[in-house]
Amino acid sequence: MSLRHDNFRLAYRNLKAAKARSSLTMLGIIIGVMAGVLVLCIGQGVKQQIAGQLGRYGKSVFVVRPGPPQTSTSLLSGLSGSNSSLLTEADLHTVQKTHGVSAVAPLSTVSGSMTGDHMVNTPFIIATTADFEDIIHQSMAAGGFFDSSDDGKAVVLGASIAQELFNDNAPLGQALLWHGQRLLVAGVFNDFVAPPFSLESNFNDAVFIPYATAQHASGSVLGIYQILAKSDKPTDASRVVSSTDAALVSAHGGAQDVNVALATDTTSQSDQTIHLLTTLVGIGAVIALIVGGVGIMDVMLVSVTERMYEIGLRKAIGATNRQILRQFIAEAFVLSGIGAVTGVVLSCATVGLLRAFTSMQAVIVWQALVIAPLLAIAIGMFFGSMPALKAARKDPIEALRHD
Amino acid sequence: MALIELKDVSKLYGFGDATSVALDEVNLTIEQGECVAVMGPSGSGKSTLMNVIGLLDRPTHGDYYLSNKKVSRLGANQRARLRRDKIGFIFQSFNLLPRLTAIDNVALPLLYKGLSLGKRIQKAWDMLERVGLGDRAYYYPRQLSGGQTQSVAIARALVNGPQLIIADEPTGNLDSNSSRLVMELLSEIHKTGNTVLFVTHNPELTRFATRVVYMQDGAIKYDEQTKLGEVGRYARSVMYAVPETTEEDDLAGVSVMMTVLGKRDAAKPKKKPARSRTKKTTAKHKKVAK
Repeated sequence: MSLRHDNFRLAYRNLKAAKARSSLTMLGIIIGVMAGVLVLCIGQGVKQQIAGQLGRYGKSVFVVRPGPPQTSTSLLSGLSGSNSSLLTEADLHTVQKTHGVSAVAPLSTVSGSMTGDHMVNTPFIIATTADFEDIIHQSMAAGGFFDSSDDGKAVVLGASIAQELFNDNAPLGQALLWHGQRLLVAGVFNDFVAPPFSLESNFNDAVFIPYATAQHASGSVLGIYQILAKSDKPTDASRVVSSTDAALVSAHGGAQDVNVALATDTTSQSDQTIHLLTTLVGIGAVIALIVGGVGIMDVMLVSVTERMYEIGLRKAIGATNRQILRQFIAEAFVLSGIGAVTGVVLSCATVGLLRAFTSMQAVIVWQALVIAPLLAIAIGMFFGSMPALKAARKDPIEALRHD
Repeated sequence: MALIELKDVSKLYGFGDATSVALDEVNLTIEQGECVAVMGPSGSGKSTLMNVIGLLDRPTHGDYYLSNKKVSRLGANQRARLRRDKIGFIFQSFNLLPRLTAIDNVALPLLYKGLSLGKRIQKAWDMLERVGLGDRAYYYPRQLSGGQTQSVAIARALVNGPQLIIADEPTGNLDSNSSRLVMELLSEIHKTGNTVLFVTHNPELTRFATRVVYMQDGAIKYDEQTKLGEVGRYARSVMYAVPETTEEDDLAGVSVMMTVLGKRDAAKPKKKPARSRTKKTTAKHKKVAK
């Protein structure tokens, strides 16, 4: 039938002729598509951020924490309040001496206000050793980490605290006053990627000072809340963990009061979190698509009902059911097609804006970009043509009477 | 050879107690080339008769032969094709799709016939020229007067070269000048050999008919041949017989109000041939007759 050839051009013209109705319908489709795509993209982005942060450490890194073996929270958890006791320097040495351990870094927090160009009353100060850099795998924005050959006056800043103290991204060589000592800024870390909505302590706010300096300044024994360590070879990691554990237990006289775990293990415990997130994102996307689909359905139903008289008239002058149906399918296709593409484009733009202006690193999930518009088109076509078919099947006289 | 032959055609609506009889065993034969005016009060079954003859509606009982072919039991699509090829419709109002231009409206039946774009435009253009609206081809219905709208509808009804033109109160919403214009157009079509069927409440318009069928309660009450240019004899007698208001109106005490409102509404197109139209039009023609 030669009608087929004309269908889309005619559909386009019909839709253009009814601008208000068409744009309303299209709005429904655009919103439906955007809801589905954005929920998926944002959800996936947040998930990746969290996963990326958890997976930052290599396979050979392991963590020693005070307290009985338990399901640990994330690796970066700062001062978890549950710590009944802290680790000691003796523990540090035990770990260091364990066979197969290549690097060890204690983490302690110390207090005291700091003054650079500006004063910060209660900075988050972490005392650690040169090995920290090797273990943490974080690139420097400027300068380098302090090492054992330094005179103990070098400090390294997180990105945020550098701004706070000096209004400068790279205040290298600038002096800091802490407990009456002059410390010099040796380096600044790049941004530690922290996931949004996370309660974890933020290394971007931290000032890293040498452990020895901190100990000297405070004059007392520093409690260590966590020891980061690294095994020689990634393949040996789990063996080194168990021997470290054994060494610590025997050093503590058989008490099981220390918790040693691979960083990837603490990560894998967080897999549950990620799994939960994935499920949540999936459910969210499905709900968004259903809501969008219902929106499309509504608008389509209304627009077809509105056109009952038109259907009656077209039938009266000789249109067959199939011709009516074709017209409506073509219109629904053009409408939902344009709507779906617009929705995808707008979604991508929104993802871009989110990345640029918020901490949510939304990613473009190509599956969403394909599935959401296809679903929208399918729903649009179904609900755009089914009521039309119902109308077309009526006697034309009934459709004509329908005002 | 009769173009239309109805044999004991009945049309019932509703079920059980609520059944109403719109057509009551109507027998009617219309020859090729006749111009038939169908008259009768509201609810007498005129429109139902038109719908059955126009294949928009199926009779409940009885047989309908169009060009000696039984069509009363055809399926929806076959009827649609017959409507497309043999019948042209003109309704009282809302004839045109408001979002299509005049020429697109006229070309619609050709679209459903499957003609190419070029042919469609050509034929539609010719038809518009024929009804004197060549210069309004790209106007939208809202930009046309009532008379012009009906002319476009006539052009559309004609564009497929149908044997039968069915007009259900084509002048129902028009003033007398436009009415005459439209009726003259229909009359011209009749003279070129088409069979024309039209419903009217205006006895004056039976001048354009060769035959007047008067319906009441779903049955044909009178059926007379008239000469062109003369008001049918029976039509003349009913000109004054139809009450201006019904008893219910009087009882409700709204007859005066209805006359006033009715006049005001007459200017606007109405969606449906309203019940009150009988009274209104006859009232108008009473004055004309004076």
